[in-house]
Amino acid sequence: MKVAYYSPLPPSRSGIADYSALLLPALRERIDVVTAQPGKRAPDADIALYHVGNDPDAHGWIVDALLQRRGVVVLHEYVLHHLIAGITIGRRKPRAYLDAMERELGVAGRLLGLGVLDNLLPLLWETQPERFPLSGVVLDAADGLIVHSNYVAQRARDAGYQGRLWRIPHPAWPMGAIEPAADVAGDPLIGCFGFLNMNKRIPQLLEAFASFRRNRPGARLLLAGGSGERFDVDRRLERLGLTDGVVRMDYVPEERMWSLMAACDVLVNLRYPTMGETSGSVIRALSLGRPLIVSDVGWFSELPDDAVLKIPVDEYEVAMLEAALALAVEHGSQLGAAARAYVEREHSLSKVADAYAAALEVAAGGDAVDDAVLLRIAEAAHDVGIDDVGALARAAIDSGIVR
Amino acid sequence: MRIAVCAPQVPFVRGGAELMADDLVRALRDRDHEAELVTMPFTWYPGTRVLDQAFLWRLVDLTESDGRPIDRVIATKFPAYCVRHPNKVAWVLHQFRQAYDYDRTELGQFSESPEDRATRRAVERLDGVALGEARRVFATSRNVADRLRRFNDIEAELLPHPPQTLDYRTAEQEGYVLSVNRLDRAKRIDLLIEAARSEPGLRVVIAGEGPDRERLERLASGLDGRVTFSGRVDDATLADLYARSLAVYYAPVDEDFGMVPYEAFLSAKPVLTTHDAGGPLEVVHDRETGLVVAPGAAPLAEACAYLGSHADEAKAWGLAGKSIAERVTWDACVDALLS
Repeated sequence: MKVAYYSPLPPSRSGIADYSALLLPALRERIDVVTAQPGKRAPDADIALYHVGNDPDAHGWIVDALLQRRGVVVLHEYVLHHLIAGITIGRRKPRAYLDAMERELGVAGRLLGLGVLDNLLPLLWETQPERFPLSGVVLDAADGLIVHSNYVAQRARDAGYQGRLWRIPHPAWPMGAIEPAADVAGDPLIGCFGFLNMNKRIPQLLEAFASFRRNRPGARLLLAGGSGERFDVDRRLERLGLTDGVVRMDYVPEERMWSLMAACDVLVNLRYPTMGETSGSVIRALSLGRPLIVSDVGWFSELPDDAVLKIPVDEYEVAMLEAALALAVEHGSQLGAAARAYVEREHSLSKVADAYAAALEVAAGGDAVDDAVLLRIAEAAHDVGIDDVGALARAAIDSGIVR
Repeated sequence: MRIAVCAPQVPFVRGGAELMADDLVRALRDRDHEAELVTMPFTWYPGTRVLDQAFLWRLVDLTESDGRPIDRVIATKFPAYCVRHPNKVAWVLHQFRQAYDYDRTELGQFSESPEDRATRRAVERLDGVALGEARRVFATSRNVADRLRRFNDIEAELLPHPPQTLDYRTAEQEGYVLSVNRLDRAKRIDLLIEAARSEPGLRVVIAGEGPDRERLERLASGLDGRVTFSGRVDDATLADLYARSLAVYYAPVDEDFGMVPYEAFLSAKPVLTTHDAGGPLEVVHDRETGLVVAPGAAPLAEACAYLGSHADEAKAWGLAGKSIAERVTWDACVDALLS
């Protein structure tokens, strides 16, 4: 059985490219995989697997291919408004954008879309994408859906997706010996990695860190990652008097990132609103056995309570975060051990690859198997005078014999 | 207690699994339980047929019979353990190995077609449902338990079963190596015949029937009658064959359990097996209860020659095995299954 695999791949700088670079070799040990490339002919295969994220540059061609040929979709995040806007408005196909808005919200959605097109409303994918995910375009074309969290699974079901669905955790990177970076230090050293923007709650983190540092003057915060044009980190640091306490780094390559993370005493990865995404940084932090603080939202809420500290997003967020920093420093070894055990238990690459192989095999041949079994059941039922085989079919479904 | 013992039946085939189910019913009755064997024919091919068979078991209602409740169901093999019952205990002798460790080997049955791959996955999913709903899951060997953990994430308790009831005894050994097994390729009886070809002093007695008999007989031709086929033998003859043997050969590919080592041990005979035999290695320990060698004709020939020329050691190993086999009793099994 052959799988056509659609995903951004390195050197593309995206989390999903990193994800596929990690997964592909393990998947190839279990199943025949051919990778598709943008602008090239679709590979011949029994089934296609589409990795979909929110970046139209990285994923636009993948959604194009999906709309040409249905297949299994890996929904890396639930909110796809930016992607859909990019492949509709961005390609001068405004009607397709309106269709997507209408699919989600009916006539009201279409009217909102018209407001955006006529510059009467702000760009929804920038201001409130979480309210208008537009994932229906992708769900409609999916013969099977792979998600990383119960949160996204539930949202897909709530949106009316009724097909096969598998929750497969994000795989963890195999851990080699990692030398902690020697050029950053703090007592303690707090780390925050990834693209820096409002969604990552950087203002709240800076405020909490400023308070925390009053009691721990040796503390330093490492902020590693690029920042958005409209997010001036340096100015914020100045205003909070944190210029000495914060180390800023732009994008850091993979190896350097591991080394920097290993040097940190506590890692922080906040998020709100969530787009239903998982975080490669979180998986890395857990794999390293570092105490970790996250926001209590979406996929992050599903992480085990003994392995991460979760901060509700409410009016006490900053105070809670400050307290959590102290707690994480104090109980770092227990949190770290629980984190490492959790990753080994739930996120092992081999288990994830096994789950992918199982999902793809069922997606490719499951319908034919179901049909064959149900046909024989129906024939036997008909022979004894039962033409409505619904009860028998339900028994088969209950027992897992057919879906 | 009213207990239904559920086991599939391959028409016209009788082996260890069938004996085990019969013996379990007998053991339960001996302990004053009402016990009945419930069985259905099992055909696992072609293609998706294996799922039909599971579905049949799923439709069987064993919650009561003749107006009286059935208190417990004990199921031993796929697909019998797909039966539904609130007090189901699975005592797993075999899963459907074609969907697991046999897959993509010469012993497998599923091709690379999407339909075959999905059928294999359906068996896996079905095992998860059927065994997941059992109140307890026992495995007859470590090999079976490991497979349940590896493929289905199910933790099974280890509970080996006693061998069939025979008039086990020990007589003076007459120098032959005995094979007791169904004659099919997975049992690797051909290796023993090849060993006889390279070891002129080796005599072999092969008891059992099966689809591989004709090929094995061809393989044994030209060995001056040193390899004899006894076919299916009655209980008395089997006990006698064990009693007079030098050692017993048992080396299937990664076998799940196999009663033969226990039967050999109860006759105080050492067992000759191979590193990759699976379940038997849980009781056949090299130079303690038998010999464990590489799966090839030459190492087996050498091992047979060693046993022939070291009769005292062979006898001592057989006696050591006997003390292991005597610890596996029906009392212990019934207690565990009904606890």
